[in-house]
Amino acid sequence: MDLPVQDVLRPRSLREALRVLADHPGARPVAGGTDLVVQLRDGRRQAELLVDLSRVGLDGITETDRGIAIGAGTTMDVIATHRAVRTHFPALATAASQVGAWPIQCRATLGGNLANASPAADTAPALLVAGAAVTVASARGQSQLPLEELFVGPGRTSLRSNELIVSVLLPVSRTGAGRRLVERFVKVGPRREQIISVVCMAGRVVVAADGRLELVRLAFGSVAPTPVRARATERLLERRVLDDRLRQEALGVVQEDVKPIDDVRAPASYRRLAVATLLDRFLAEVARG
Amino acid sequence: MAERVSVTFTLNGERRTFTVAAGRRLLDLLRDDAGLSGTKEGCGAGECGACTVLLDGRPVTSCLVLAASVEGRSVVTVEGLGGASGALHPFQRALVEKGGVQCGFCTPGVAVTGAAILAQGISEPGERARLLSGNLCRCTGYSKIFEALEAAREGSNG
Repeated sequence: MDLPVQDVLRPRSLREALRVLADHPGARPVAGGTDLVVQLRDGRRQAELLVDLSRVGLDGITETDRGIAIGAGTTMDVIATHRAVRTHFPALATAASQVGAWPIQCRATLGGNLANASPAADTAPALLVAGAAVTVASARGQSQLPLEELFVGPGRTSLRSNELIVSVLLPVSRTGAGRRLVERFVKVGPRREQIISVVCMAGRVVVAADGRLELVRLAFGSVAPTPVRARATERLLERRVLDDRLRQEALGVVQEDVKPIDDVRAPASYRRLAVATLLDRFLAEVARG
Repeated sequence: MAERVSVTFTLNGERRTFTVAAGRRLLDLLRDDAGLSGTKEGCGAGECGACTVLLDGRPVTSCLVLAASVEGRSVVTVEGLGGASGALHPFQRALVEKGGVQCGFCTPGVAVTGAAILAQGISEPGERARLLSGNLCRCTGYSKIFEALEAAREGSNG
């Protein structure tokens, strides 16, 4: 069955794509289409005009002195296997390897996963703990915003219809002598492969030589209207030495950091429990060293 | 009335041009416009893998690919896996020999993903299982599909 769209434009450069978006308010950009095509088919989103980004050239990963820049058109399979991503941001590599199954990963793009703004988007928590910034372009120029400012609600971003995500920057910081980086991504669902997360979590912790948690970033998916950082839990843990008492306290606080709802995949009470369980396992790994 | 767009790409090694509705999916172009009905539609939502084809050598679910977006690219369907002569790919032969086919509906997608796994030289069983997890098969229990993958790999090693 053909998708209910009137036309598709196929710009050959970013400049042309931005001009098309500026000239056609309401046009919807499409990259891999793994979310959008399903939504158009179901009627959950409508678009008269699609702007196919296949030939705009937004794919590729570059390492600069500011960090790792991932083009918005880069597909999940490429991110999951990229050497520098796996070294510096293992949570993102793991998340990318769990977005759908392989035929989805070969098509789904990072920019699409973010623009779709699902609260369950697997790459989002991993990018949040990485401190990612999103570069957004329009015909007027480029700007950068922290990833958290992109998400407004389920399926909604702060992007205007003439704007396009062009890349995501992950700042690389040296962990330093005597320090230890622990970074993980885990998701919970009824099947190990190819599921929409019931809850997913990314954690990034730097443990100093004296055992203090120098940096703590925790983010969860599918437990709030947008992917969220667990700020109160982060504040509780930061600059402290992890012991059993602190860990127990964190498991209570983290359940207040999230705002889950009951839906088709799980009740809110289950999600709260899963959030605490995932954090407990992560902190156990941090403590083990 | 939706606009029609022209799309030119390499289909099973041959350069082809089609004029299709703007909203046509690659799956429908393959089955209805190109007459290649080997590619099946299962769920239509990218979850079952029955419609898997190779796009520039990588497996994709053709039910989620906009036909207009494959301009200039290369698509290989189950009909083209064995090359232009119409021969079977070694993995297709192994599926037949090992009994990796039952009802057959998932088989075109399984054949395509399996061929991609072999092309990438992936032999670790856990990784093979992960890569095939997007091709749902209700009949075989997968054992014979993995046996066929192994047989095809050994065959190609000589």
